[in-house]
Amino acid sequence: MAKVSDIVLWDKPGERVLLLGNQAIARGALEANIAVYAAYPGTPSSELTDTMAIVSKKAGVYMEYSTNEKVAFETALSAAWSGLRAMTAMKHVGLNVAADTFMSAVGMGVEGGFVIMVADDPSMWSSQNEQDTRVYAKFANVPVLEPISPHEAKEMTKYAFELSEKFKHFVILRTTTRTSHARGDVVLGELPEEIKQGKKKFGKFKKDSSRFVDVPSNARRFHPQILEKIEKIREELNNCPFNWIEGKEDAKVGIIAPGLSYAYVKEALAWLGIEDVKILKLGTPFPVPYGLLEKFFDGLERVLIVEELEPVVEEQVKTWAFDKKLNIEIKGKELVPRIYEMTTRRAVTAIAKFLGLKTPINFEELDKKYEKVKPLLPPRPPSLCPACPHRNSFYAIKKATGGKAVYPSDIGCYTLGLLPPLKTVDTTVAMGASIGIAHGLSIAQNGSLSEEQQSPEKQVVVATIGDSTFYHTGLPALANAIYNRSNVLIVVLDNLVTAMTGDQPNPSTGQTPHGMGKRIPIEDVAKAMGADFVAVVDPYDIKATYETVKKALEVEGVSVIVSRQVCALHRIGQMRRRGEKWPIYYVNEDKCTGCRICINAYGCPAIYWDEEKRQARVEPTMCWGCGGCAQVCPFGAFEPMKEGEQ
Amino acid sequence: MKEYNIVITGVGGQGVLTAANILGWAALHAGYKVRLGEVHGMSQRFGSVISYVRFGEDVYGSMVPEGKADVMLSFEPVEALRYVNYLKEGGMIVVNTKPIVPVQVSMGMASYPSLKEIRKVFEKDFKAKWIGFNAEELAEQAGHVVTTNTVLIGALTQIPEFPLDAEHVREVIKISVPPKAVDMNMKAFDLGIKAAKEILEL
Repeated sequence: MAKVSDIVLWDKPGERVLLLGNQAIARGALEANIAVYAAYPGTPSSELTDTMAIVSKKAGVYMEYSTNEKVAFETALSAAWSGLRAMTAMKHVGLNVAADTFMSAVGMGVEGGFVIMVADDPSMWSSQNEQDTRVYAKFANVPVLEPISPHEAKEMTKYAFELSEKFKHFVILRTTTRTSHARGDVVLGELPEEIKQGKKKFGKFKKDSSRFVDVPSNARRFHPQILEKIEKIREELNNCPFNWIEGKEDAKVGIIAPGLSYAYVKEALAWLGIEDVKILKLGTPFPVPYGLLEKFFDGLERVLIVEELEPVVEEQVKTWAFDKKLNIEIKGKELVPRIYEMTTRRAVTAIAKFLGLKTPINFEELDKKYEKVKPLLPPRPPSLCPACPHRNSFYAIKKATGGKAVYPSDIGCYTLGLLPPLKTVDTTVAMGASIGIAHGLSIAQNGSLSEEQQSPEKQVVVATIGDSTFYHTGLPALANAIYNRSNVLIVVLDNLVTAMTGDQPNPSTGQTPHGMGKRIPIEDVAKAMGADFVAVVDPYDIKATYETVKKALEVEGVSVIVSRQVCALHRIGQMRRRGEKWPIYYVNEDKCTGCRICINAYGCPAIYWDEEKRQARVEPTMCWGCGGCAQVCPFGAFEPMKEGEQ
Repeated sequence: MKEYNIVITGVGGQGVLTAANILGWAALHAGYKVRLGEVHGMSQRFGSVISYVRFGEDVYGSMVPEGKADVMLSFEPVEALRYVNYLKEGGMIVVNTKPIVPVQVSMGMASYPSLKEIRKVFEKDFKAKWIGFNAEELAEQAGHVVTTNTVLIGALTQIPEFPLDAEHVREVIKISVPPKAVDMNMKAFDLGIKAAKEILEL
């Protein structure tokens, strides 16, 4: 198993390797001679950015972790305007952040190929909502390519750059969790000389105010141009190598399978043993090429569209068939669910129903059997890691506010503070929203300090937000709260890294993948903006954190506490690599009274309850040595093991 | 061989993804088409996790459908039970019997089933062959608990009709772990093989 960074740069055309979908896309971008890459991490897109971070220097590619998707989009877009091949990547909700620039700039087009990779997360494995980027693509009139495997993802990336350059238009490469986070066999292609030699490419921006200034007179010209372009692209996609018709030529029944659904359909048909069917494999769910539809529908009597999430292809096909006055039965969302991700089971069930067959496995019976298992299963939601500094911050906030405050929070690992026993997360909406929501909640319940009247009953509002999120979209909201004078406490949980998506750096980290960024301390920003109280605490010192929160709550206006301690997962990972040890705590049986405060109020996953002895215990393999338990235990029962006892 | 399906289950942080990756590379070296499915991000933080390993001539999607796994490799007993519906009838379960108790159980909000109950579901309701042992103990014998997944992979290679050669899998592990951990992992791999053999011969 060679290192991924090596594989992605291997000059071995024809070599078969195992790559994660996201890594395969990075390889595809290199094979396409990309020059500039900018993104903000978001699961399930992050590994594409991380891979680019590792290989960019050697490949002569400019790469940055941007502070949010909108600025990442603008960085890459400008490079494409300057004639370079450029790419940005984000998760589906990231496109919402970039949408302002995306929707406005689409009419301006590009010079160099511009590929926007968007990773959707059907079933919401790691996301706050379920949205289908293909709808955005259709909205903006931008073609979208959707691969079925890591290998196709790599090939499609190259094609996406070519398509973008040919039509001087944006192209979206859309994946889902199951392509971004699937590993599969990938055949390496040729790397361009410039990438092999690590030669940096520079572009040239040609001024053209009739094109790059979105005043209404220009924008009016753009809109018909966009519509014209997308129809030309629809035409072009008849010959797209990722669209094809297969199966029995004279079949009466057809199945349209866009994107990854093709994989499930193929498996379902094999499982059902059906061969008498024609398949339209569609790598371009928008725009659907009509010429291909014409060929596919020839001779068919019934068609099923097996599509994940929104009926994007279905609506195009049905509209086309209606206009053509085709007398063919077309089914889609009647048989295929519109929510959550596609699975082979869903595909097999839909196809069986469509054809009046039995499924190969009696799924209802299987479900019935499983129903009996469910009551035995204790829940195991994800939790804050052992030694996670956020646990201590939440614990101190809860204690200082008596649990009576409202706690808006944000997107990051710390969202897990919603779970018992901490329960200090009342709202989570979108990146950076905690500060905006906190401000609004305080204004609604207390009024603004700039107004003459305030509510006689004060509602305490304590927002939590991570360091990366603070720089992502927290900044404008903080300026707004300070300017409009609400009464809130904002605790920035600064663990000096973007932890949830895999330890990417951000302005609070200071380091970039190339090592030469500049650190921006959050407290300096808060002070410069005019916050009424600013303090920095170490959450590993629970008492000091508690006291600082208490003090901040006395202050009227916007208070900012930066609760700073490096991410435990990050720290332990580094210590492990260096072969270092950390203290491991244990429960002194003579001192533990079985009060359960450590479990019922603190909730470290390394602490469990010994039913026989009616005492708390520490699982030594899970203890990461922060000593928080020793601080919360009223009886001093937690003690670090001595060297040699471990 | 058309397809072979493995599901790997456990708790985030136990090395489920690493195990899947090792088996994936071994399958790739054996000349098969390979698909691995996994979930990253927040779902990994000590939560319940499942990964899929599929290889053969006819593999497309990265997820194993329910009722279609030839074998389940599980790092934790309750996490085996949680995904029992993925196993095909008469499938095999290789499981580490050392529990990791969820915080919710310690808080008294839920209870943890007995190993006997879990095993009964597999053997009786799902007609599976149970290969369960404390892999963590064996990993400690090998030198460190971090080799628990190597112990389990070793055991996995011993199940009847397992399509990957144990020595191929061993080679992948050898080049995947840090150089100074190779000996320890080889020992762990052998202990896993031995444990599975003993159970299978009973």
